[in-house]
Amino acid sequence: MEEYPEEWRTPPVCLISVVGLAEHEHHRLISTHLLSEQPPTNTLALPDLSKLLHLLSKKPKQPPDATSSSSPAAGILKRDWLIKHRTRVPSVVAALFSSDQVYGDPAQWLQVCSDLDLLKAAIKPRNIKLLVVVVNDTLSDHNDVYEERFIALRKRAELDSKYILTFNPNTASDLQISLNRLASIFGELSLAYYRDEGRRIKTRVEKKTLNVNSIDLNIRYCFKVAVYAEFRRDWVEALRFYEDAYHMLREMIGTSTRLPPIQRLVEIKTIAELLHFKISTVLLHGGKLKEAITWFHQHNASYKKLVGAPEVVFLHWEWLSRQFLVFAELLDTSSVPAQSISSLVLATADRPLTESEFHPSYYYQLAAHYLKEKRSSLEIALSMSESASELDSSADSVAPSVYIGQFDRLLEQGDTVSKQPLTDEDYTRYVIAEGKRFQDTYEILGLLKKSCESYGNHKARRMGSFCGFQMAVEYFALDDFNNAKQLFDGVANQYRQEGWVTLLWEVLGYLRECSRKQGIVRDFVEYSLEMAALPVSSGTDVQPFSFKECGPAGPPTLSQREIIHKEVFELVSREVGLASVEDNNCIKISRDNPLHLEVDLVSPLRLVILASVAFHEQIIKPGVSTLITVSLLSQLPLTVEINQLEIQFNQSECNFVIINAQRPLLAATNDGVQVHRAESTPLILITNRWLRLTYEIKSEQSGKLECISVVAKMGPHFTICCRAESPASMEDLPLWKFEDRVETFPTKDPALAFSGQKATHVEEPDPQVDVDLGVSGPALVGESFMIPVTVASRGHDIYSGELKINLVDVKGGGLFSPRETEASSMESHHVELLGIVGPEEEELGPGEIEKIQQSFGLVSIPFLKSGESWSCKLEIKWHRPKPVMLFVSLGYSPLNNESTAQKVHVHKSLQIEGMAAIAVGHRFMLPFRRDPLLLSRIKPVSDSEQLASLPLNETSLLIVSAKNCTEVSLQLQSVAIDNEDGDSERVCSVQHGGENLSGPSLLMPGEEFKKVFTIVPKVESSKLGLGTVCLRWRRDCGIDDHSGSCKTEAWVVTKHKLPDVEVELSPLVVSLECPPYAVLGEPFTYMIKIWNQTKLLQEVKFCVADAQSFVLSGVHNDTVFVLPKSKHILCYKVVPLGSGLLQLPKVTVTSVRYSAEFQASNTASTVFVFPSKPDFKVAADVGKREMESIASE
Amino acid sequence: MIACVAVVGHQNNPLYIQSFTEADDALKLHHIVHCSLDVVDERVNNPKKSGPTLNETFLGLLYPTENYKVYGYLTNTKVKFILVTTDLDVRDADVRNFFRRFHAAYIDAVSNPFHVPGKKITSRTFAERVSTIVKSFGLSSAG
Repeated sequence: MEEYPEEWRTPPVCLISVVGLAEHEHHRLISTHLLSEQPPTNTLALPDLSKLLHLLSKKPKQPPDATSSSSPAAGILKRDWLIKHRTRVPSVVAALFSSDQVYGDPAQWLQVCSDLDLLKAAIKPRNIKLLVVVVNDTLSDHNDVYEERFIALRKRAELDSKYILTFNPNTASDLQISLNRLASIFGELSLAYYRDEGRRIKTRVEKKTLNVNSIDLNIRYCFKVAVYAEFRRDWVEALRFYEDAYHMLREMIGTSTRLPPIQRLVEIKTIAELLHFKISTVLLHGGKLKEAITWFHQHNASYKKLVGAPEVVFLHWEWLSRQFLVFAELLDTSSVPAQSISSLVLATADRPLTESEFHPSYYYQLAAHYLKEKRSSLEIALSMSESASELDSSADSVAPSVYIGQFDRLLEQGDTVSKQPLTDEDYTRYVIAEGKRFQDTYEILGLLKKSCESYGNHKARRMGSFCGFQMAVEYFALDDFNNAKQLFDGVANQYRQEGWVTLLWEVLGYLRECSRKQGIVRDFVEYSLEMAALPVSSGTDVQPFSFKECGPAGPPTLSQREIIHKEVFELVSREVGLASVEDNNCIKISRDNPLHLEVDLVSPLRLVILASVAFHEQIIKPGVSTLITVSLLSQLPLTVEINQLEIQFNQSECNFVIINAQRPLLAATNDGVQVHRAESTPLILITNRWLRLTYEIKSEQSGKLECISVVAKMGPHFTICCRAESPASMEDLPLWKFEDRVETFPTKDPALAFSGQKATHVEEPDPQVDVDLGVSGPALVGESFMIPVTVASRGHDIYSGELKINLVDVKGGGLFSPRETEASSMESHHVELLGIVGPEEEELGPGEIEKIQQSFGLVSIPFLKSGESWSCKLEIKWHRPKPVMLFVSLGYSPLNNESTAQKVHVHKSLQIEGMAAIAVGHRFMLPFRRDPLLLSRIKPVSDSEQLASLPLNETSLLIVSAKNCTEVSLQLQSVAIDNEDGDSERVCSVQHGGENLSGPSLLMPGEEFKKVFTIVPKVESSKLGLGTVCLRWRRDCGIDDHSGSCKTEAWVVTKHKLPDVEVELSPLVVSLECPPYAVLGEPFTYMIKIWNQTKLLQEVKFCVADAQSFVLSGVHNDTVFVLPKSKHILCYKVVPLGSGLLQLPKVTVTSVRYSAEFQASNTASTVFVFPSKPDFKVAADVGKREMESIASE
Repeated sequence: MIACVAVVGHQNNPLYIQSFTEADDALKLHHIVHCSLDVVDERVNNPKKSGPTLNETFLGLLYPTENYKVYGYLTNTKVKFILVTTDLDVRDADVRNFFRRFHAAYIDAVSNPFHVPGKKITSRTFAERVSTIVKSFGLSSAG
C-alpha cells in the first residue's frame, strides 16, 4: 500500500483558503479550529492576495473541455490532478479584511474593492466559492457608516449577505462563536463547491456516453465525479462512479489504440489498480467485507488473464502480486471485527466464499506466489535481453509522464527538457532494468512471513507450515542455511506427525543438503538415514514426480532411497574421512571425529534401527542363567552389516558384546566390557526382517536387571545407540504403520512377543540359615509365655543380622478390635510382646534390642560363623484368649561387605493359640431349711437380666468354683474375694466358709476346685457389688519344679468379677427344724417356724400332707395369723415308721398377702432314720457338719 | 478437470493420493491437499459457521488457491476425501455426485478382507475405479 501516493491512500479532505491579514493570529486560529472539526477541513493560509493569484494562475491550461472532444486525450488520468485538489485548489476562499479597512477612510475602502475584484477574477474560472470575513479587531463603533459600507461590500463582492461574516476575536466567547459560524459556512460552501463541480462533470459524462473515442475522458470524468463525491462524503455516489470508471476501463482494453500495446496495457492496469484500490477502501470503510472480497475476486478474475506481451510478462505477475498484497494489507488494517466474519453466511448462490478468504494470510500467500512467478519470468526476460550496460543506459532518461501509468523519454536540449513518447522496445528495456534493482526474494520472504504469522493466529498449522516451507526454500536459495534449517525442521515435524511421507521426503532432502553444505556430519547422516528408511513409493501410486520438482532430494522412489543409503554407508564405513570430491566439505568421520547417534523412543531414526529386548523369564535366580533375545529391525532399503553389538544393562557387569565373527576383529574394543561373544552367522540386517539373537545371561546381584540400550557399531567410527524396548509395550513404527507391510514378531515365540519385557527381576540367594521357633502347646491367658527362637547357620556367615518379630491377628487386621479400644485403652492389645530375653538368661541390652513395640520387635543378632547358633526367647502375654500369628524374619548378609549389602531373608511364621487357663464359676445358696420370702422372685417380671436376690440380714452362701480348662496341671495358690469398696464390711460381710489353703494345691486338667463363702448383706440395696474373685495360679512344671526355668515363673492372678446382687428384706422367713437324724419308732419334733418381719399382720395358710413312713400329730390344714415382728411356730410330733432316707411329711405354707406359696424342697424335707440308735465314735458336731456338707452337694 | 483426489485417514495421514495432471506438480498437489485439512478441521470444529452443511458429509468448497479449487467430504467414520480441480466453474451437483461415487468405491475397497483398516489403500481395482470416476467427472450431469 505504501507505493501509492499519500493522496490516494487517505480519504479526501476538503480544502479551503484564507487570504489576507496574515500579520494577525487569525490564520492559525481558523486552521486549527477547522482541522479539529468533524469532518476536518484543511486550510490553505495565504498571507496576501498575490500568493493566491500566483497559486491559481500557475496551474497549466485547463483540460480540454467539452468543445474539444474530437482531439483524443493523451492519457486517462493526470498524475497530479488529485494532489492538486487536495493541496492547491481550495473549494472556498475567505478574504479577510479588518473592520478598519472596510469601515475606515475611503482610501482603504478602495483598496478593499480592488482586492475583491482581483480575487473574483481569479476564482471565477474555477467556480471557487468566495467568503468575505470582516475582522472586528478594534472595539470602535462605526454605526453610522456600517450599514452603508456593508451594502456596498456585498454588492462589490456579489455575495449573499450571509457570506459576509464578522469575526470577533476579542473575547474568548466571541471568538468561539465566530469560529463555529465560520466553520459551518465553510462546510456549506465547500460542499456546494464540490457538488457543483461534480454536477458539472456529470453532465459531460452523460453527454459523452456514446462517443467511443472519448472513452478516456469519460473515465476521467467518472473518476472526478467520484472524487468530488468523496470530498462530500457521499460514499454511495463515489462507489458508483468509481465502478463506472472501472468498468469503462475494462472495456477499453480491446478498443484503445492510443499507445503502443505494452504501454497501453500497463496504463490500463495501473489505473484499474488505483480504481480498485479506491473501491475496496470505500467498501471496507463501509464495513462491507463480503462485498469487498467479492469485488476483489471479480477484479482478479477479469485481469488475471491479461498477461500481456511475453517479454514483459513479469510486469503482469508483479501487478497481480501487488493486487493481493494491497488487498491483504487493506484487510489487515480494516476495522471490520473478526467475529463478524464468522457470522457471515459463507455460501452465496453464485460464488461461495470460504473461511480462508476472510483472512489476510490467504492474500499474502498468493501475493508471494505471484511475486515468485514474477521473479522467474523476470529472470527469463533478463537472460533473453541484451547486456546489462545497454539496459542501464537506455533506462536513464525515462521518467514517468504527467499521466498515470505512462512513461516518457526526457530529451535534454540545452536548458530545455522535452518529452518524447517511448516505443515498446524502449519501454521493455526500461522496465527490465528497473526490475533488476529490486530484491524480490526478500519481498517474498516478508510476504510469506506475514502469511505464516497470520495463519498461526487462526490456528491453521498446515497452511502455516506450507508457508514456512516456502520461506525455507527461499532461504535455501539464498544460501542462508541456518534459517532454512530451522524452518525446515519445524515443517518436517509437522509432516512426520501426520505421516505425509512424500512431503517429508522433500523437506528432508533440503535438510540433508543444508547440513551437507554446512558440513554438519551428524545431521547429514541422520537425515540421510531417515530418508533412506522412509516408506516412499511402497504403494502402487507411482507418481510422475520429476526430479526438479522434488528439490535436492530427488524423486521419492525406492531407487533414490537406495542411492542415499549407499552414499551414507560409504561415508560411515570408510576408514579415511570422506571428502566429497565436488564440494570439498569437511563431512568426514574419523578417529578424532567419531559419530555416535542416539535413537530413543521418539526419534525419527527408529525407522532405521529398532531394538527390542526380551528376557525369557520374568524372575530369575541369582547365578542361574536365563535367556535373553535381542531383536533388531531396520527399514533401510539395503541390507546392513553390523560389526559388533554391545548390549548394555543397568547392572554393568552383565553387559556383553556380540562380535561379528565374519568380520576381522576390530582392534579397539571398549575396555569396560568383559564378555565377548562371537556370532558365527554374520550380523546382517535385512529390510523389514527381525534379526533375532538369543543369549544366555546371568546375574549375581539381586534386584532389577534391565536392558538399557543396544549399541550397534556399523563402521570404524560410527555407532548407533538404540534405546531398548520391551516387545510387550512396543509402539508401532511411525510412518510405516500406515503401510501395508509384512509384520513379524520380534521373537520366535509369539507369546514372548506379547509379554516379553526388557527387564527381569533377580531374586536374592537362598538362605542357608535356620530359624527355629520352639513352641509346645498353647499359651495361657495372663502368663508371660516364652517362645524360644533359635538362629542356626548352616553354611552362611551371618553379618549384621536382624530379627524382626511381628504379631498379627490370625483373622487379619490388628490385635485389638476398635470397639474395645475405647473401653480399655490401656489394654488395647489383647496380645502383647513384652520383651526379648537373650541367650544367657539376661535381658538384652538396649544396643541389641533396636525397637520393641506391642506387636513388633527388632533385634540385632551378633556375628555368627557358619555352624554357630544363637537363640533368644520372646516373651508374649495374652490378655484375651485369641489365636495369633507370629512372624519372625531374619535378614542378614552372608558377606562382610557393607557397600554391596545384599541381604538374605529367612521368614518363619507360627500360629499360637491363647487359652484361658481357669474357668471360674459361682453360685449363691441359702442356709439349709431356712427360706426367706423374696418378693422379687415371685414377681412375674422374670427378665434374664434380673439380678440375683439376697435376703437382708440373712446368711447366704457363695460357692466359687475354679476349673482347670487346660491340658497341663496347674498350681492354685489362693482363692479370695477382693472388695474394691473400703466399707464393705458395713454393707455386707463376706466370710470364708473354711480355712485358707495351707499351700499350693495341684489342679489336674479338668479338675474343679471349690470354695464356700458366707454372705450377710446388711444394707437393703437394689444393686450391691460383691467384689472380685482373685485366683492366683501358675503352671505346674512337674516333679522338680524347684529347678530350671519354672523358677522365675510368677503367680498369675486371674480375676473373676462377681455379679451384682439385689438385697431385699424378706417379709416372711420360713424355717424347718428337725433333728439331723431319727431312730425308727422314736418320736421327734418337727417344727415349722414362720417369722413375720413386717409391721403388718400376716395371714398364713398351711397344709401338712401325710407321709407313708411317718405318723404325725397335729392339724393338717389351717390358717394362722402371724403378728407383726413376731414368730409363729407350728410344732408336730413325728414318729418314723421305716428306716433309711425318708421323706418327711410335706409342708406347704401360703402367704395370703403376697400370694406366695412355700413348699420345702425334697432335700430339705428328707431325714435319715436309723433302725436303732447309732453309736457314733466321732464328736457329734463333726458329724453334723458332714451331714451339712453332704446336704449341700 | 480433476487434478488430484485423496483419501485422508483419522490421524490426517494420507491413505490414498493420486494426481491426474500431466504437468510436474504432483508434489504441489500434495501440499494443497495437506493444507486443505486445516479447513476441514475448522469446518468440523466450528460447525455453526457452516450452518447449512451441518450433519452433511459434503463439506463444499474448502478453499481456492491460485489455480485450483479444493472440495472436501467427510465420511461418518471421519475419513476425509479431498478433490482438487482446475475448473474454475464447477457445479456443486457434479462435485456431490463425484464424492458419492468415490465414497462407494472407497467402501468397496476397505471392505476387502485383506485390507487392514487405517493402512494405505493399495488396491489396484480401487485405483482403476477412481480413475474411471475422475474421467467421467462433469459428464455425468449431462446424462
